Amino acid sequence: MIKQGHKPGENPWSLSRIAALLVLAFLAATWLVPFAWSVLTSLKSEADAGASTLSLNPPDGLSFAAYRKVLSAGDIPSWAWNSLITSVAITVITVATSALAGYAFSRVNFKGKRWLYAAIIAAIIIPPQLLIVPLFRQMLAFNLVDTYWGIILPQAFAPAMVLILKRFFDQIPLELEEAARVDGASRLRVFWSVVLPLSRPILAAVAIFVFIGAWNNFLWPFIVTTDAHLMTLPVGLQTVKSAYGLQYAQNMASAILAALPLVVVFLFFQRQIIKGIATTGFGGQ
Amino acid sequence: MRKRDETLAGWAFATPFAVLFVLFLVVPAVYGLYLSFTGETLTGAGSGLIGFANYGEALTDPDMWKSLGNTLWFTVLSTIPLVVLSLALALLVNLGLPGRWLWRLSFFMPYLLASTVVVMFWSWMYNPTLGLINGVLAKFGAAPVAWLQDPKVAMLSVVITTLWWTIGFNFLLYLAALQNIPEQQFEAAAIDGAGKWRQLFSIVIPQLTPTTMLILTLQILASLKVFDQIYMLTNGGPAGKTRSIVQYIYESGFTGYRFGYSSAISYLFFALIVVVSLAQYKLINRRSAA
Amino acid sequence: MTEDFSRRSLLRAAAALAGGGLLVGCAPGASRSTTDLSYWHLLTGGDGTVMAGLVDAVNAANLGFHTSQTVLAWGPPYYTKLAMASAGGRAPDVAIMHASRIAGYAPGGLLEPWDLDLLAEAGLHESDFPARVWEKCQYDGKLYAIALDTHPFVLYYNTDHAEKAGVTDALHSLKSPEEFTEVATKLQAVTGKHGLSYGYLGDGSQMWRLFYTLYRQTGADMKLVPGQRAEVDKDAAVQVLTFIRSLLNDKIASRSGDGGTATSEFLHGESGLFFGGVWELPVLKDAKMPVDALPIPTMFGTQAAYADSHTFVLPRQSKVSPERRKHVYTMVAELLKRSVKWAGGGHIPAYQPVATSAEYQALKPQSNYAGIPAYVNYDPQVWFSGAGSDFQNYFAENVQNVYLGNGDPGAGFDGFVARLNKLLDRPQPV
Repeated sequence: MIKQGHKPGENPWSLSRIAALLVLAFLAATWLVPFAWSVLTSLKSEADAGASTLSLNPPDGLSFAAYRKVLSAGDIPSWAWNSLITSVAITVITVATSALAGYAFSRVNFKGKRWLYAAIIAAIIIPPQLLIVPLFRQMLAFNLVDTYWGIILPQAFAPAMVLILKRFFDQIPLELEEAARVDGASRLRVFWSVVLPLSRPILAAVAIFVFIGAWNNFLWPFIVTTDAHLMTLPVGLQTVKSAYGLQYAQNMASAILAALPLVVVFLFFQRQIIKGIATTGFGGQ
Repeated sequence: MRKRDETLAGWAFATPFAVLFVLFLVVPAVYGLYLSFTGETLTGAGSGLIGFANYGEALTDPDMWKSLGNTLWFTVLSTIPLVVLSLALALLVNLGLPGRWLWRLSFFMPYLLASTVVVMFWSWMYNPTLGLINGVLAKFGAAPVAWLQDPKVAMLSVVITTLWWTIGFNFLLYLAALQNIPEQQFEAAAIDGAGKWRQLFSIVIPQLTPTTMLILTLQILASLKVFDQIYMLTNGGPAGKTRSIVQYIYESGFTGYRFGYSSAISYLFFALIVVVSLAQYKLINRRSAA
Repeated sequence: MTEDFSRRSLLRAAAALAGGGLLVGCAPGASRSTTDLSYWHLLTGGDGTVMAGLVDAVNAANLGFHTSQTVLAWGPPYYTKLAMASAGGRAPDVAIMHASRIAGYAPGGLLEPWDLDLLAEAGLHESDFPARVWEKCQYDGKLYAIALDTHPFVLYYNTDHAEKAGVTDALHSLKSPEEFTEVATKLQAVTGKHGLSYGYLGDGSQMWRLFYTLYRQTGADMKLVPGQRAEVDKDAAVQVLTFIRSLLNDKIASRSGDGGTATSEFLHGESGLFFGGVWELPVLKDAKMPVDALPIPTMFGTQAAYADSHTFVLPRQSKVSPERRKHVYTMVAELLKRSVKWAGGGHIPAYQPVATSAEYQALKPQSNYAGIPAYVNYDPQVWFSGAGSDFQNYFAENVQNVYLGNGDPGAGFDGFVARLNKLLDRPQPV
């Protein structure tokens, strides 16, 4: 039984299984080392962090001093807030518009549908990275450089997600909707009270995927913000420096703090996130 | 009448998306194409049409070719391990050994980190005097390596970081696909007396072909677009050895101020992506037809 | 950047979100008061600490304004952000810029010139600055920058090792590359490791600084005028490159020295000489090592020194507040008057009342190289040159192999010049 592991009657601790376990443990440990090393550094004093010894037990001991310093400087909380606001807005807008559009493509026969659908499919291969120059020009013209909307709008739609949702809606039996329509419900009503409730898992999957992407996106927010107070977490960490020198422990503490929100979310929703990514990853094609 | 209603309803549903789509994808795409035929700069100077001059210059620009070469080299170096190793990891985790959630967590967690955080971790790992890697090397008596400064190893370092960061995504896709292989196939094979390795090569890997194709497609396109980690780890250095094409687009436009020229390179690169996508599409179709 | 600040910005963001103000407003500066000055710079490390202290001191003087500084990552990220902010009209009130970058910003209207009358009102005059430095701050006859300092590339030496090797006097009087090599070889014998530390690997700026110092010492010039071919002296360049590579032979100096390695080697007494910027001084002094500094000795006949200057500039804003602008003049004047603190970081103050003060002259080893501004050599003036620009990267891309010992000096330099000609051929984008 590939899913549950060993077959009944098969020795669960055969030599080859132990070997596999060791290999796995070694690889997993390798993967965790950069985290562990950074966490350790963030707990050291600056003097110990800047010393060239690989000490697990530094002379000054371990403390949260670097975290306190970083947090009291105030930049990280405000960047995290910017990241949160923009990522939530991007997620809400993307999921809402993709669901509406996906439903239209799945269920409504409207004029121009084919044409629009073809455009969306073609658009999937356009890497947004290639549009940074014209988009920046556009944002200058719209007066949206250095605003939340300037960060949000160019990220708040995803052609691939429209396709994923359309495909999902295609699988919902028509009868369910027809029953509601016979009762005289409008399309929007049917969409809201019949289709959406049935689509919760896929909507969650799309939302998770979009949120992670938005939270971590670097290039666009990097280009559209020049004001340090409006930067998102990844951009602020990269662009704004401390005036007070290279401080390794504080540097690592900032990185850990920036990593923390998504890692905690992941620990709580591991199953849903993994499922979501597996679904949307496949659906992307 | 009914048809008009449908059209009205259809557009009512599609409009919010279509507006964003047109405003922030179609318009910049067309505008960018227009810019590529002008000498426009960041300050708005030189906005007249100049024909194909930017394209001509790009095609003879050694830095453009070098960046393109770096990008392709990075794509080769990163795609192979990102596909092969992710498959190996998925197979190992799928054996059903104890601690499954921990393995999954370890390999997948980096994928959740922002590029900036990944780079902060790895710049610290790679630090020539204080980094963990050189520290461990020193314990074994090896000379320190300038991971990000030495032109011979910088690209390798970038690839290692990328591997660590993004393998979780492919790994998850493989893991999900493995769980979808029908159980009966293994039972039938076991009855036929096929061993574990035999099963792997005659059942598992062929069954995974669509997934492999998908991962390969996604991975190649993702690698071609590389920017973040290289920009932050090495800023394209040393001596331009790791500068990717997207970074060159960024630099031409925002550091060199040449919006028109930068747009022209964007479109040349886009042409390459279209070619790669079509080639992959054909390949996959031929395979599934065969 | 206190806790108060983060709470305020949180509230502002929340209010903006709730009120839909998100849609239009939120532009910083749109509603900034006339007494809050925004100031961008790229100074980190020891320089950053001193600058923060100076800004605090000026704020504490209660002159009717308050300056908040934003520190951005050094080099291209900083200059790109500054240009983009100016193009968007939302630039800070005042910013630091290397003098070598002015030619890349002033012509495109990304900077605004300083008003000489307002400067005089704030107590600053042309005569307060070294002539060559003041001249570098001009573009097209207008003054675009006020220099804070001059920061040359110099030669540090370990005084203990120099005594032991008996080369202290030679260091001060040597006049040829051969004599330099001899001194370095003697020091190598003393340290047993290397005679000289020079970090250049993967760092175009470092390669350029040494090259340009020695190149200018031969009397050669480098004139770059858009639309014309680069005027260079290849023979001089080859002579200098050949000399540099002769030093990087893994005996006198490491062939694979990057910035960190070179500094730590010199710090730990594993070499006697160190080519570095004056900004390295605080690190060396903190290590309490026996160190002294000199201008790089004149080995090729003509006194010359590569340097750059940190300067104050006025980035273009779409809406200029005359009140804030006036405060900026005062703020710059006040910073300059306190710049003897800045000299503590190794830099030579540009403001002459400070540079000639007894307090500065007493600083050692700073005053050893205080004469450099009189003969300083900045990067060739052209839009693509300057600190952290592509220019230095192009140099590195073509010449690193020469430094590493496996490229031909002539071919490397030709490659660099070809690259320059290509850039000169193009229309100037600013």
